[in-house]
Amino acid sequence: MNFDFGRVALVLLFAIVPIGGIILGIRAPALRSRIPIMVGFLAGLVPIVSLYVPKNFISGPTGMSPRLDQWLIILAGFALLLGIVNVLQTSIRKITRREAGWPFAVVLLAGLFSTGSFGIHGAISGQGIGFLPDGSPTPFKYMADWFFLPLQSTIFSLLAFFMASAAFRAFRARNTEATILLVAAGLIMAGRVPLLELFALPFPGLQPAAAGASQFLGRTTEWIMDTPNGAAQSGIIIGAALGAASMAIRVILGIERGYLGLGKGE
Amino acid sequence: MAGFFDRMLTLDRRWIFLFVFLSVAIPIIIPIGLPVTTTGSTRSAFEFIEALQEGDIVWISFDYGPSSAPENDPMAEAIMRQCALKKLRFVVDVLYPLGGLQLANNAIGKIAEEFPKLRYGVDYVNLGYKDGAAAVMRRLGEDIAGAFPTDVNGTPLAQIPMMQGLKSLRQVKLVFTAATGLIGEWWITQVHSQIGIPVIIGPTAVSAPKYYAFLNSGQLVGMLGGMKGAAEYEKLLRGRYPQMAKFYKTTRDFTATKGMDAQTVLHTIILMFILLGNYAYFRQRAKAARA
Repeated sequence: MNFDFGRVALVLLFAIVPIGGIILGIRAPALRSRIPIMVGFLAGLVPIVSLYVPKNFISGPTGMSPRLDQWLIILAGFALLLGIVNVLQTSIRKITRREAGWPFAVVLLAGLFSTGSFGIHGAISGQGIGFLPDGSPTPFKYMADWFFLPLQSTIFSLLAFFMASAAFRAFRARNTEATILLVAAGLIMAGRVPLLELFALPFPGLQPAAAGASQFLGRTTEWIMDTPNGAAQSGIIIGAALGAASMAIRVILGIERGYLGLGKGE
Repeated sequence: MAGFFDRMLTLDRRWIFLFVFLSVAIPIIIPIGLPVTTTGSTRSAFEFIEALQEGDIVWISFDYGPSSAPENDPMAEAIMRQCALKKLRFVVDVLYPLGGLQLANNAIGKIAEEFPKLRYGVDYVNLGYKDGAAAVMRRLGEDIAGAFPTDVNGTPLAQIPMMQGLKSLRQVKLVFTAATGLIGEWWITQVHSQIGIPVIIGPTAVSAPKYYAFLNSGQLVGMLGGMKGAAEYEKLLRGRYPQMAKFYKTTRDFTATKGMDAQTVLHTIILMFILLGNYAYFRQRAKAARA
């Protein structure tokens, strides 16, 4: 018989240990924080070890690390459920207390339930969320195409109006730093589009010169994006990665406990 | 004239809104047809796909929602058109939860109509949406069926001819992600860095600056930055494939090339407002200093 060590170890570490911890935690409150820290430690350790230990039980296609990835996908699904519960709680509270803007919460819940029920109906009935056999859209697709997609596009497109207004008010050369920002932003905005060709449209004689100048502006823009921007972005990304790594180490070692949601005494 | 500049400092923002609306609406209704110049990052993306062999598999990930569809839709569609023309096979997945699946379905439907010879399950597959983007990517590197047991229609992958020989992401030649937000970056950190698959990204213009760092480090083979990148790609497609030149000239659908007209006029309007605002600001400051 082929003994699957990886699977057994995962079940042991992430199912039996936490369940045992919950049972023991009822009787011994001190264990309530230690068991989740232990689970966090193991969950953090497995992917790291799998990078350095080329053994089937941990890094092979059916080893502990790839299986843990699959468990993560399932857990992510539960996170969605958690989000729905949160939306329900806050919206219902808003409606019952008649807080400011409560009718919007009613619309939100109506949208959540109608879209969700159409989707669940599509999954259970087998008709899916695309088209019906006669070519007409399913209720879910109808809701998505004619309500959700245009609404989300509309909300985002409002940004163009506010960004233009904010740029007009905030982009002032008040000091050296603001001037550098203003000049760089102006060059990028002009260099990313055929602005000079637009100005030369009524004057055919000027168009070749406008095209040449536009290409120079485009190259200047690319240099700004590639060199100063690229260097700054590299620094930011490396800094953020080091910060994330140190935070991960703090979580794995149980120094960072905020995610446990326990009281200070625990 | 002095009164005009004084008024500029306290300009009602609804005037700006009106100018923004007109500068976007008019060029979309009446296209100008302004030229588009290509950049190195877009050209290297295009040439990389051109160098692939017939039958190679390209992974196309729809990692955006309706909010950035005008930028990302033309990119994803142009890449799929190039795959169809080059006879490359492509697999589509969706990792963005808010409407990404609808956009992918619509784009695939459009491409299937444009290229009636494309056969579902043989030339392309739509795997649908899966939650937990980074975890899904890691799983795809080992076992595609482990992350997507069925396609978008619920058909097990084992029953789809194209997927029978495709077990892991390691077998695809390229990942293209049309992305908004962080998901695009995860394709670099979780897939390229750990499996070594080349990645091309199509981010929104807002997030494009971040990806120059990855381009410089060689972790991306190319980038289609925002609507400009998509318009550049459409230009490259038109230049290489005459049928595409005809298509982009006659299609009534929205294309990035049409969008660039609106973007150019809008940038011009915003720049003019910024210049006028600054001139009025310095005038007022000089007046105050004199007083």
